Amino acid sequence: MSTAAGGPASGGISPNNIIVLGAVGGLAGIYLSFLLNQTMDTTIFSFLGGIGAIFAAVWGADAVRRVCSYGLGTGVPSIGMLALGMGIVAAMFGLALPESDLVTLPNFLGPIISFITASIMGLIIGVMANKILKMNIPIMEKSMVEIAGAGTLVMIGLSVVIVGDFRFDEGMVPGVITTGYIALVFIGGAMAILHPFNACLGPDEKQYRTLTVGVEKTALMMVLVGVASLTEINAISSAVTIVVGLIIYVVYFKKFLEATHHDAYLITGTGLLPTEEELE
Amino acid sequence: MIDPITIVLITLGGVLVGLGVHFIPVGGAPAAMAQATGVGTGTVQLAAGAGLTGLISAGFMYNELATSAGLSNSNMILVMASGAVGSMIMITVTMFIGQLIYVYGVGVPPVSAKVKKDPITGDVQDIYVSKGTEGHGVPTVSFVSGTIGGLLGGLGGSLIYIQLMNIGGDHTNSGIVALAGIFATGVFYVNSVIASYNIGGTIEGFHDPKFKRVPKAIVSCLIASLLCAIIAVPIMGGVS
Repeated sequence: MSTAAGGPASGGISPNNIIVLGAVGGLAGIYLSFLLNQTMDTTIFSFLGGIGAIFAAVWGADAVRRVCSYGLGTGVPSIGMLALGMGIVAAMFGLALPESDLVTLPNFLGPIISFITASIMGLIIGVMANKILKMNIPIMEKSMVEIAGAGTLVMIGLSVVIVGDFRFDEGMVPGVITTGYIALVFIGGAMAILHPFNACLGPDEKQYRTLTVGVEKTALMMVLVGVASLTEINAISSAVTIVVGLIIYVVYFKKFLEATHHDAYLITGTGLLPTEEELE
Repeated sequence: MIDPITIVLITLGGVLVGLGVHFIPVGGAPAAMAQATGVGTGTVQLAAGAGLTGLISAGFMYNELATSAGLSNSNMILVMASGAVGSMIMITVTMFIGQLIYVYGVGVPPVSAKVKKDPITGDVQDIYVSKGTEGHGVPTVSFVSGTIGGLLGGLGGSLIYIQLMNIGGDHTNSGIVALAGIFATGVFYVNSVIASYNIGGTIEGFHDPKFKRVPKAIVSCLIASLLCAIIAVPIMGGVS
């Protein structure tokens, strides 16, 4: 892919609707999971964090799709890694800040602080990319803000699935960081954001098909973090996460297959490779 | 609470990472088809592979040497050297195995299309470049350049890690170790992606004309790392 290639991506749901869907859906999933878990003193609602992560990942995948259709010159995966690189630093900062001695804030605000921090980092890196590195992609600043924000929400959402809590000292440090699951969340979250467009890119790329991969990929990640959560929360909560994740995965993988068949010019069976006798 | 020297050193580490990426011979997708010089994968994958290996070797050395009082300055150099060697081993092994596949599997001579003569060995390059390609394999100069890239990336990554661990203060607390590790990884990724945007995907090494763009990447990495450092330092200090 050369840097000169491509132009603005078009079609499907408008970017603004996806931004609202991703940001609100992502935060809602994370907060609902936390609040329901806290008020009912259970961990059964942890799976809602995964649903939030799906909304955020779809948003991230759409932002990647819009910025990468200009052609970055470095391949799509780099931007997903950048998203989670910024996301992880911002998420840790936002979640840890209310617990530190620096300021007195309710720890309820953690994810929102993370989200705002990520947006600021994304804006600065986006401006640098256009002004200093001269990438000249008109939507770079906006997309970087979106990608960083989505990366943070995916990362917090998947972490909430593992421990059912986003508070830094109570949940994140003992459950996600010390156990090392943070590495799984990091790479898996990056995959959920970068893979959809990386898999579907090309002249016939369609928003619906790309975003279906986004949902399906994040659901698969939800199953994986659900398995990880077996060691952190009880088996029933983990099972709920795994089952919900599997159902979403199967449904959306079928939708993806249908979309692929629908967009294809022709579907034909090639049969098996010919044997040596048949070739003679 | 916020120590300026630590922030400066973390920023320096980030800049070293960004600089190191420019030395690594990244061929991207064209190189995967042996149509460009370098290893056939993206900058981020190569830099991250080498950088994370460096981080692991630095982390091992840190745990060996650290005492409850922290790390002395001479020990800090040992940890950084360990990180640098880890990165260099990883990147050289990647380049060497890639080279074997290019030479014996694909059947192309390692050659650079950016220079007429290899600046190190003086071997003629241009007559060996296949028509329609931009070189192939990993020629000597790219190999040496890649090793230097591993050195800088490893030094930068381990410098970030050491600083974060020093603020955390307790190397037996696995929460602090993991947090420092994942923070260092995050800063590493941000800087290597910024550097890869600067080179626009592919570079052969320090002899490549694109290498002249380095100052822009240094400025960008400086700003991005400074931002990450300002965020990371108070948090590492606050982990109980």
